[in-house]
Amino acid sequence: MQAMTAEGLAAAIRSGERNAVDAVEAAFARIDEVDASVGAFLELWRDEAAERAADIDRRRDEGLPLGPLAGVPTALKDNMSLAGHELNCGSRILAGYRAPYTAGAVERLVAAGAVPVGRVNMDEFAMGSSCENSALATTRNPWNPAMAPGGSSGGSAAAVAAAEAPLALGSDTGGSIRQPAAFCGVVGVKPTYGRVSRYGLVAFASSLDQIGPLARNVRDAALALGAIAGPDPRDSTCSEEPACDFLERIEDGIEGVKIGTIREVGTSALESDAARGFEQALQTLARCGAELVEVSVPLVEAAVATYYVLANSEASANLARFDGSRYGHRAAGARSLAEMYTGSRSEGFGPEVKRRIILGTFALSSGYYDAYYGRAARIAGALRQQFSEAFDKAELLVTPTSPSGAFKLGERVDDPLAMYLSDVFTTPTSLAGIPGISVPCGLDSRGLPLGLQILARPFADGTALRAARAFERETGFECRPEAVS
Amino acid sequence: MSLGVEEVRRIAELARLRISAREETTFASQLSEIVDYIDQLREFDGGTASQDDTHAASDTADSDLPRPASAADGALLDQFLDNAPASLDRFLLVPQVKATPGGEE
Repeated sequence: MQAMTAEGLAAAIRSGERNAVDAVEAAFARIDEVDASVGAFLELWRDEAAERAADIDRRRDEGLPLGPLAGVPTALKDNMSLAGHELNCGSRILAGYRAPYTAGAVERLVAAGAVPVGRVNMDEFAMGSSCENSALATTRNPWNPAMAPGGSSGGSAAAVAAAEAPLALGSDTGGSIRQPAAFCGVVGVKPTYGRVSRYGLVAFASSLDQIGPLARNVRDAALALGAIAGPDPRDSTCSEEPACDFLERIEDGIEGVKIGTIREVGTSALESDAARGFEQALQTLARCGAELVEVSVPLVEAAVATYYVLANSEASANLARFDGSRYGHRAAGARSLAEMYTGSRSEGFGPEVKRRIILGTFALSSGYYDAYYGRAARIAGALRQQFSEAFDKAELLVTPTSPSGAFKLGERVDDPLAMYLSDVFTTPTSLAGIPGISVPCGLDSRGLPLGLQILARPFADGTALRAARAFERETGFECRPEAVS
Repeated sequence: MSLGVEEVRRIAELARLRISAREETTFASQLSEIVDYIDQLREFDGGTASQDDTHAASDTADSDLPRPASAADGALLDQFLDNAPASLDRFLLVPQVKATPGGEE
């Protein structure tokens, strides 16, 4: 059953060919078999998953309609709420916190029939590109256990790549779905800002955060996005644009579609394997009938710096709520409120979160605000405008997802700037609020996956998915990591 | 620009974080490197976008939508209080705002 797609599995369950109970049992058997070496899951919800699955089978037997994801085992990133379950955001500061309600996206996913099987590892508060900033567990890349799975949705990507679940939800602020998807050889979608509700998602940088799916193929990702997208009055930034069926035109191909490469995305930032992989990906797109053009988005070169100012400024404000008074860790023996705040935060947050809060507080502080936050905000606005102009010349844009395939665990933990620079191709998309998909584009010389990133105009998520599907069909890439075969 | 140990300590205090002497030194050097990198933004700031045009990503979504006020569910309040490190009846318990020697909560 591991080999089945989410779409195929749900269809088999709806038709009665298979039972949801067996699908869920098979997922847990696979998790029991491989997760000791992958380390994706932080907690499994065996009983609740079995109950949900039994309920789906019962409904089918009673002739009631079932959703498009009926019985599909799904992993949730540790920053989205499922009522009654613990949620730690990869941090010690949220130890023991239980979600009092279910996130909007998770609600929709479950309404579509998906069965949450557990929560998966992430960099603390989604701050990181390797999952190594998790205070809770080490996650390994299923393709090679010495390598990082990417981050921050490293647990989501690793669980899907290792076939522990056909589907996972992740969240993406500056590349946190796309980069781990590329590192683990799966498909990852960061939808348009506002496409998916963030109600019940722990906020990192509210002007950038988006929830999206990770899956083993493009159709499954499209199916999942269709299930979670749509209006939610509980998230005021969520668009009123109704959800659509992203599968409807997904096989239509990209014959004659103008696809742009960005002149300023230089291959100099790329490792040679990744440069070769991207060159081959362009040839593949041309074989699919796409017309390749070059566009200019000069400010992409400023994206990483802009992103780290804006994201961390917002984080320093968003994370002020973790102070030991309402939930999570509280320092013992504080003699005043201020002492409790400082003690709880200092004991609860890990080094990267502290570093980023300090950076964000610096960028917002009196005397530096205009030079850092103000300037970065202006540049982000101009970057968005440049993307908009580029989309007048090309319907879609492509870049590599990451400058290299997966790097070694431990290689960059002491060099935060080097870690940040691995987001060079993903942060521009986030700042512009446009959709970005990472689709596998082959293996590097070390046998590790590489990703192609496909970008589209706001709310043209479906167009990007169609191109990703055409690309996938042409490459025939299959996610079969030998280390967990 | 480089950030010194004193500056890092001052900002950490603003952010209600206490960091060790060793962390101060590490953070000062790491943050200086990061701020140096960020300083390249000076070259890109053509001032082409107005300050009003700054909320880049969120502008792609519809404007914020107000939602009607509704009464909180009582059960939600119980669950909220279950998450509290300390509570009494329907209130959160925290230490006094003003420090009192030896006094706690």
